Order: sequence, then structure tokens, then C-alpha cells
Amino acid sequence: MTVSVVGQPMPQVSAQEKVQGRAVYAGDIKMAGMLHAKLLRSPHAHARILSIDTSAAEALPGVKVVVTGDDVPRRRWGVHHKQQNVLACGLVRFVGEEVAAVVATTEAVAQDALELIRIEYEELPAVLDIDAALSEGAVPVHPEGNVVDEINIARGDVEAGFAAADIVHEEVYTTHSQYPGYMEPMATVAATDGNGRLTVWTSTQSVFLARQRLAEALDRPISSIRVIQATVGGGFGAKIVEERSSVIAAFLATKVDRPVRLNLSRLDDIQSGCFSVPMRIRLKMGMTRDGTITAKDVTIEAECGAYAGLSPEVMLVTAMRSDNMQRLENVRSHARMIHTHTMPRGAFRGFGGTQMSFALNSHMSTMADMLGMDPFDLHRRNAIRTGDLSVHGWEIGSCGLPECLDQVSTALDWTARRARNTRCGVLRRGVGMAAVMHVSGNRTMGNWDGSTVVLKVNEDGRVVILTAESDMGQGANTMLTQICAQELGIPVSHVTVQAPDTDNSPYCLGSLASRVTINAGNAMLGAARQARSQILEAAAQKLGCEAADLTIADGVVHSGKNPNLFAPLPEICRYHIFRHGGEGILVRHTHDPKTVMMNKEHYGNIAPAYSFAAQALEVEVDTETGQVRVVETYLSDDCGKAINPLTVHGQSAGAAVQAVGWTLYEELQMEGGRVMNGNLADYTMPTAEAVPTMHSDIVETDEPNGPLGAKGASETAILPGAPAIANAVYDAIGVRITDLPITPEKILAALAAKEQPHA
Amino acid sequence: MSGHKLSLVVNGERVEADVPSNRLLSEFLRDDLALTGTKRGCETGVCGACSVLVDGDVVKSCLSLAVQMNGREITTVEGLGRVGALHPLQQQFMEKGGLQCGYCTPGFLMAAVDLLKRNPNPDDAEIREGLSGNLCRCTGYQGIVDAIRSTAEAGHGA
Ligand code: FES
Ligand code: FES
Repeated sequence: MTVSVVGQPMPQVSAQEKVQGRAVYAGDIKMAGMLHAKLLRSPHAHARILSIDTSAAEALPGVKVVVTGDDVPRRRWGVHHKQQNVLACGLVRFVGEEVAAVVATTEAVAQDALELIRIEYEELPAVLDIDAALSEGAVPVHPEGNVVDEINIARGDVEAGFAAADIVHEEVYTTHSQYPGYMEPMATVAATDGNGRLTVWTSTQSVFLARQRLAEALDRPISSIRVIQATVGGGFGAKIVEERSSVIAAFLATKVDRPVRLNLSRLDDIQSGCFSVPMRIRLKMGMTRDGTITAKDVTIEAECGAYAGLSPEVMLVTAMRSDNMQRLENVRSHARMIHTHTMPRGAFRGFGGTQMSFALNSHMSTMADMLGMDPFDLHRRNAIRTGDLSVHGWEIGSCGLPECLDQVSTALDWTARRARNTRCGVLRRGVGMAAVMHVSGNRTMGNWDGSTVVLKVNEDGRVVILTAESDMGQGANTMLTQICAQELGIPVSHVTVQAPDTDNSPYCLGSLASRVTINAGNAMLGAARQARSQILEAAAQKLGCEAADLTIADGVVHSGKNPNLFAPLPEICRYHIFRHGGEGILVRHTHDPKTVMMNKEHYGNIAPAYSFAAQALEVEVDTETGQVRVVETYLSDDCGKAINPLTVHGQSAGAAVQAVGWTLYEELQMEGGRVMNGNLADYTMPTAEAVPTMHSDIVETDEPNGPLGAKGASETAILPGAPAIANAVYDAIGVRITDLPITPEKILAALAAKEQPHA
Repeated sequence: MSGHKLSLVVNGERVEADVPSNRLLSEFLRDDLALTGTKRGCETGVCGACSVLVDGDVVKSCLSLAVQMNGREITTVEGLGRVGALHPLQQQFMEKGGLQCGYCTPGFLMAAVDLLKRNPNPDDAEIREGLSGNLCRCTGYQGIVDAIRSTAEAGHGA
């Protein structure tokens, strides 16, 4: 190998087309005869649909069809709980639920037609928050009741653990819902062909899970549908399986038998979710004087809104994942997922981890203060280590948590800065930190976490990779390209990764659970090595030598023994075809990690590897306005071998800013179940001006199960931000905010309450 | 809707068109001229994904009407550079991780051209301020700021 490609920072393989504005997103696709769709949404949180009159809308010139719940398949779709139809059937369960759709020659005509649809509703009482949903005699959102899922996990002896503790602390934390805020509002183009097959181009994190969902919702055979991933303008979890507008667009195409494009407006996109799951977490922990955690007891109430989607899985993560970050013996969790008549919530980057990270890290800092310990030392004392088996049976093959803690505390100059900060003046500064873990992969999806890569080596020695793991900007295709190029000894420019396509790509689960680098990366490694050995075998035949003596570098096969024995790669690839019994090089490799499903007690090693991260930051609190500003931040991600440091840093910075937004600026405002800030002016995501330089570093542990030592990055990095900020605010002004977001109003109210303790 | 005759230059080419008076510039570019590099992220002037240059100044095309563009010169991302002749900002966005999903990228590139035209040697604070009309959800802005700074440092700011 002349130059190593893996480990080098390089531009993403999609960067060139993107900087030219030439990447094609679903909303950019135009087809001959294409029509446009618009959706009508429920104005009520809970209501019976008494009648729908579409005649005036249908009469509008240019309108091709108007569909309602009466026209859609009766079969319901959903992840585990089958609760939804393509459009609401008879009953609406949240403001914004899709009740009708118009297909017309232009978007403007479709929009005008929406206003002509007359719907008579009978408004019904609605439950709009967890407390209402759990109250005596509450209206059930679904006939099964408002608690859609309940989890109980217990290990060790929690009571004995608390009895052995020197200090016990209990607190309730609440976390709010965050909008994924991808810059591309959802868009889909769907078309049927002359054989009745349906093709759907959409913005998705998983084409195969999209196809599954479409087959169910449209009640047609899986193989009658083809899903092709258009360039994805950000996903952040919302586009795994819960996305609804692509389902509606696909159904409309079958109704008009012509291509249909459905571009959501920003308001549409916000109204249809998928926001993260808000939770109320009661956390009680016991520690001995030296900081050892003796017991942890968690109660969670989580709100999934009208439809469960992935929320129960999200809650399971909240209930147990952070237990595996520390050496614990006595833990207990009780968690309930609750329906309300609000928008469906679900998967979001971090997948339930951010909620618990806020509670746990706020708690750790508080208890460190109680013990007179530095929170870094408290984390170090309890941190899980490489080679440990966690309380829930997770096998920690590599753990860079201690190194992450060291890196960020040194980078921020933690000790000195902590001592320097004084709690006086109008502008007060404080420092805070947090430590977190995440999975790389998760078998819980259905006892398979595998990934298949098909590799075609063309007769010119260049290659095409077929996979259905999705690149939504995070860099999956670049990761595959680097591994492939390095193993085959070819330039990265000679590698093409095909867009996921259910007809042409091998079956894959897609981009979720930070599983792609570790699983698809391993599959890529296997496929590339197989292709290389086929090339070397063919070359050995052609050159009349042993394959073992040959290597490929810079696109040339050559012998390590005899410098005169060499052949350009294209020559060998052609020779592989043009001989008796020859064929083009086409290899396939599947990697399914040696993990297990959790058992009924939620025990078992679900992921091939686990990632860790830590963050330390400084905030400035304006005690007159209540404004909090992050002034300096350092985040370290233990992602194993960083295949592309440029993308890892990009993930860390992006995740850290998304966390700042969640903590300080972003807040979904609802009144009567109606979103009051459904636009980007009022739902305020951070701008470049609102954040400082996002410093990030990488801890390169060598993960034994990872491809070349790599594991997942990106999701871990969103987890520590909120508690690090909350801890820094406490350090600055002595006020602990346990209820996100940390708004100026809360800061001012807490400061006022602190001044007058007896008021 | 009554039509308006429109004559303008888009990415160096003269364009004659008939547009309804309520046609947004963003719709005109994307739907009539198939210049889909210009994105729509909010259509309310907040996200900057639709930014283009009008006579060299950055403008949000979702807030402008096509009819206002008569006699003007428009540059979209498609006119900024091509393979083999990328604009220095495009090159630096690639190399510094100034993009991930790429949806915000055309808008940021246009804002950056305008920013460097006004201030060829901006410091980080000035860069961040100059980008306040654009949103990116992927990069945390770090790669974007790095890309603009390094473009300026290489003397391509003017
Ligand atoms: S689409 Fe024009 S500013 Fe967002
Ligand atoms: S790169 Fe995705 S929004 Fe900026």
C-alpha cells in the first residue's frame, strides 16, 4: 500500500456535485406528465369526521383527484403498533393529521382546491399532555388506552444499594420535543408504470424500511414497489420509518396513474413531525462517600403523541442505555409511553439518549458538589472500561471514555477556569461537563443487524458499490469509498457508490442506530478483500506466478518478488472476463455482527461496539436578560478508528450545535394541540452567530469488532450538550434548571427566587 | 394572472420569458429555468437556502418576484463554477467540510460570495455575522466558517 486512504481527512464523495447545486433531491425531480399534490390537515386535536364534501374542489379546473380517508386502504400501518391509515379514517387524533389530498396540474391549483374542501367535524374532548392522558377517566387516544408501552427493568438489589449509600439524591427532570430541522422539507415523487409497478423517489434513511411501510400502508405486495433514495437533505432520525408524506404521495400516484410530486412546505413539515419524544424523568441515585454509585432508580413518563411509531424503542434506550456507561450493579427503571392527541413523536438523533443524558449528567454534577468532588473525577470513578461486561450484559470491546474526559478537561483548562469564575457581576461565566455513550449498531431491529455490500469491478479496474445503507449527508458513502479504495489499491475517484434502490441494491436496514460504519464498513472490507483476491488469482494466472506474491497499488498489480512482473489493473480485470469460463468481477459480502437480541429481561449484548463522548464548555449568563451563551466548547468522540476525521469533526460540530439549539433556543409552542410556531422564524434554530467555534477532538480506540478498528460517530456527540450547559449555568449563577429548554424567563425566575428564598 | 415580459441575464446567458406577476424568483429559477440548485427551505426569508446574486448582491429569491428582475443579472450556484473550474469557495467548502447533506450549500455559497465582496478579510465573528441569514442543520457552521476564512486567507476574498 503506497498511501493510506483510511484515516485521511478527505472531502465527501458527494461534495463536488453538491457545491455545484447539481445533487438531485426529491423536490428537484421533474417527470413528463408529473402532477402536484397538497395535503389538507385537521384543525382539531380530536374530532370525528362527519362528512367531507370534495365536489367544489374536484370541479376546479386542473384538479385531477381529491382523496379522503374513504378512499384509502383499510389496512393500518405502523412499526409495532399498527395505528395509522394513509389518511385519517373517520377520526382525527392530532392537529395537523392529514385528512384529504388533492392532486392537480400545479401546486397552486392544488392549494386553491384545498380551500374548497368542506369537512364537517364533531369536536371531541382531547388529552393534550401526559397528566391529562393519565388522569382518571381520560379519553383514550386509541381503544387500547393511553399507556401504549411499559418497561420494567431491574438488576441487583436497588434497596440494598440505597441502604449502603452515604448520600442519596432524587430529582425530576423534564425534556422537551425537538424538531429535527433538516433543511430540506420532506419531498417525494411517485409514479406507476404500465405494468402497475410503483416507483418512489424520496428522502429517506432506509429504502427497504420505506418499501416495507409503503407495502403495508398501500396494502400491496412488497415487490410491486421500488423505492429509490434521492439525495437526502438531512435526516436526524425522522426519516427512518415514521415519515408519512411519502406514503401519501405513493398512494396518490396509484390513484392518478401518473407521476405525482409532493413537496411539503415548512409548515407542513413541522406539523407532521417527527419531533423527538418529550419525557419526564425521575432519577434517584445513591453513592458512597468516595463517589461510587451504589444504586440508580429511574421512572420515566414519555409522550409519543397520537401514534406510537418508534417511540417505545426510544424509551427503552432512555430507560437503560446510560446504565452501561458506568460500573453499576443495582439499577431499576420503570418507564411508560403515553398517547396524547398531539403530533406523533419518535426517532431523533441520539434515540432517547439525550433525554437520559440530561438527567444523569445533571445529577452527577449535583452529587459531585454534594461530595465535594470534581465531576470529572466522579465520572472517572464510575466509568466503564474496555473489557467490562456491563450491568445489562453489554460487552465493552473498546472504551475511550476516560481519554475523552481527559481531553476535554485539558482543552478547556477545566480546573483553572473553574477556580477563576466568580459568581458576581451582570455577566457571569461558568463551566460544565457531561459524559455519554451510544451504541454502534443494534440487533433489536429483528434479530439481524447485518449489511450486504455488492462490489462490481469494471473492465477498466474502476468499481461500483451497491448498498442500501443511506448517506443523508453524514458520510456513509465516503466511508465505504475510502475502505474500498484502500483495500483495492485504487484512487478514491475510481469508486462510485450507487444510490440505494430496492430493485438493485442488496437488502439493508439503512442509516439508524449508528450502525453503518461498523456493519456496512465490515461488509465493504469483506467484499473488497474478496474482489482483491479474485484479481490477484487472475493476475497470477496471467503473469504465471503465485497470487501470494502479488499486491495492488496505484492501480497496478505487481509482484513483490520480481519487479518485472506487473500488469495494470484494467488488463487483469479484462482478463477475468475474456477467457474460457470468465466473468466480470462481481462479489458480495454480508456482515452480521455476533450480537444477540435482548432477552425478556432486557439483557444481552445488542451491539458489536459502543461509542463514548465527553464535552466540557463554558457559558456566559446575562443576569439582567437571562440570556445564556455558550462561549467555548470542546467535545471528544471515541469513535474508534476515524476513517475520515473531516467527517467525524463535522458530525461532532453539527451534533453539538443541534444540542445547543435544543437546550437554549428551540421550543415547540402548542396551544390546544396546535403548533403556534410552525416556521423557522419562530422556531429558532441556532445560526452561525449564535454559537462559538465548535472544537472537537477524536479518541481513536481500536475497536476489535470494527472495520479497521472503527465504530459509529455522530449520535454520541449530540448527547452531552444539554447537561453540560445546564451544569455550566449552575456553576455561573448557582441556579439549577431541571426543565428544558433553559430559557431567559426560567433563568430570571430562578434568580429572583434565589434572591428571596422565603418569598 | 397577467403575463409580464421579462428580459434578464442568468448565469451569463440572456433569458426572455413571460411570467405571471406573482411568480416568485425562486419558482422562476427552479421551475421555469430548471435551475434547481437554488433550494427552498422555508419560503419566508429565514433559511437562506434560496439565496442568489442579483447584480452581485445576495438576495433571497423566495422573497423576490421574477418581474422585479427585468434588466438585472442573476447568478445562481450553477453559474458559480464548474468541474475543473470551481469557484475557490466551492473548493474550500469541499475541503473544509463546509457541507454534509448539501441542501443549504448553494445558499451559503452565495452568501459567502457577497460577504467576501464586502469584506475581503473578515475575522470569524464577521464571517458568522455575515452568515446570519442562512441556516444549516448539519455542519454546526464550523466547516463553513473554516472554508470562508481559508478562501479569504488565500486572497480570493476580493
Ligand atoms: S427559502 Fe428563501 S429564505 Fe428560506
Ligand atoms: S449541509 Fe445539511 S443543512 Fe447544511
